[in-house]
Amino acid sequence: MAGIKIRMRYRVSASSLLEVIVAMVIIVVVFGLAMMIAANVSRGSLSVEKLHAQAVLKNVLAEEEGRRDFVSRTISIDSVAVEQEVKPYDAGLVEIHLTAYDNSNKKMAELRKVVISNDEETR
Amino acid sequence: MVRASALYIVIVIALVIGIICSSLVVVAYFYREQYQRAFRYDALQNNLNSGINILIASQDNAYAEGKKVSLFGGEADSVDLKTVVWGIYGIGVVRAFIQHDTLSRAFSMAHAIDSAKWAALYLPDEDRPVSVSGKTTLKGNAFLPQSGIREAYVDGKAYQGDKRLVIGKTYSSQRSLPPLNPVRISELEKYFALAASPNSKSLLLDSISHSFLETPKTVPMGKNVVSLTGTRLKGNIILSSDTTVIVGSDAQLDQVLIFAPNIKVEEGFKGNCQLFARDSISVGPDCVFSYPSTLGVLRFKLNAAAMPAAINIGENVSFSGCIFAYDKSAERSKQPSINLGKKVSVSGQIYTTGLLGINDDVVINGSVFTGRFIYRSGFTVFENYVINTTINAEALSPYYLSGDIIPVAARKKKVLQWLE
Repeated sequence: MAGIKIRMRYRVSASSLLEVIVAMVIIVVVFGLAMMIAANVSRGSLSVEKLHAQAVLKNVLAEEEGRRDFVSRTISIDSVAVEQEVKPYDAGLVEIHLTAYDNSNKKMAELRKVVISNDEETR
Repeated sequence: MVRASALYIVIVIALVIGIICSSLVVVAYFYREQYQRAFRYDALQNNLNSGINILIASQDNAYAEGKKVSLFGGEADSVDLKTVVWGIYGIGVVRAFIQHDTLSRAFSMAHAIDSAKWAALYLPDEDRPVSVSGKTTLKGNAFLPQSGIREAYVDGKAYQGDKRLVIGKTYSSQRSLPPLNPVRISELEKYFALAASPNSKSLLLDSISHSFLETPKTVPMGKNVVSLTGTRLKGNIILSSDTTVIVGSDAQLDQVLIFAPNIKVEEGFKGNCQLFARDSISVGPDCVFSYPSTLGVLRFKLNAAAMPAAINIGENVSFSGCIFAYDKSAERSKQPSINLGKKVSVSGQIYTTGLLGINDDVVINGSVFTGRFIYRSGFTVFENYVINTTINAEALSPYYLSGDIIPVAARKKKVLQWLE
């Protein structure tokens, strides 16, 4: 078997070794760049969790303004821990400072607003 | 023959990958940009609302000159706050800005009503009772003279209303009405001085619209009688005159202030304005003034020769807002009067230390603070008789807000109207 010679009927043109090596280098470099860009984009984009946390803070603030019993407290909504700090701001005003944390206690969003606190007897 | 050409194929693939990566980067950039814009807008909106709350809670003229405030001591939380006196109400202007993004809001402010001072009727105690006759309804609390309230026959007709006479609680009134707010009176006096400025000259008017985000536009009308016919005036405009101003039936006034010695509103006018006169305001029949409008006569100096200040309102007028008459001198013969024609409907407040003239079928949904009532029937004048009139404090909208000039205003302010 070892002595059998294969004789091709047609000539097949192939890439040279140099050409193949250059192509491999290019494809590796391009794929590497693509992966880096994809990683950067996915890391830099806003996470759904952050958006969710901000939406939760907006809701908490709206509810708080409607209720008008402003007290400092911590509540948990949809796996987001919301820390509510109420500070006197000026006469008849308080500052509500809301901060949202995830499960690993990492700050995700923050919201501050000055609201009216006094509520005298009116018609 | 099949060509391998690996390098060409690789270059094409690299190009495709490059294009995909570039579009990915561009999409991510725009998404981020839009999100940051929305985030800045949210932050600005929050700061703007905080600024609005600060102005509403402010009780003095701390922001009359305009003030830039850092809300929480940070970098992206600055607001410009300003208040402006607007007739018997106030205007608040708030600008919130982060870098080059700005949000602005202008709104009018007024006071809630103090439930302890609120009454359908306040009549000072002059040691004589008030009488009711005909189809009269008094609904709501009433501050009445100690001699009380009683039924009376007038023109052969008995009292036909509720047997309780006052459907609500009655309290004893003081010897005089609670006074108008002197601070607001002095602010209104400054507006009259605008008309008397030496540079006043008559301006031809056609159509003016001026934003509340800017400083008020003062239009001096000079000493010629000016008729606003077919004129459109909207927004932050103060019209002042040294003589009579005639508001035509086809004039379109929206939020405008007018200060003049005499103001005449022609029959059929419809609009929203605050009219202040030194001597008299005359409103023709069938006019409609929408909320919040004001009619006020204010006399600051004793003028022995002049007639008493008066507001005369013609038949079938519908008015929503505040009508008041003020005379600094307490002289009895010069007491200011407000005269309501037949079928006049007022939703709001009426205040006069002098006389309130009433006619048949007058409906006042709100409150009346008056020195005395006057009812004319032919040649007979009935004093302190309430005849064929409805005064119903409970029919006034719970959202009604008062100017702080009237002594029932609570300290608490609220947004009256969003203007810009």
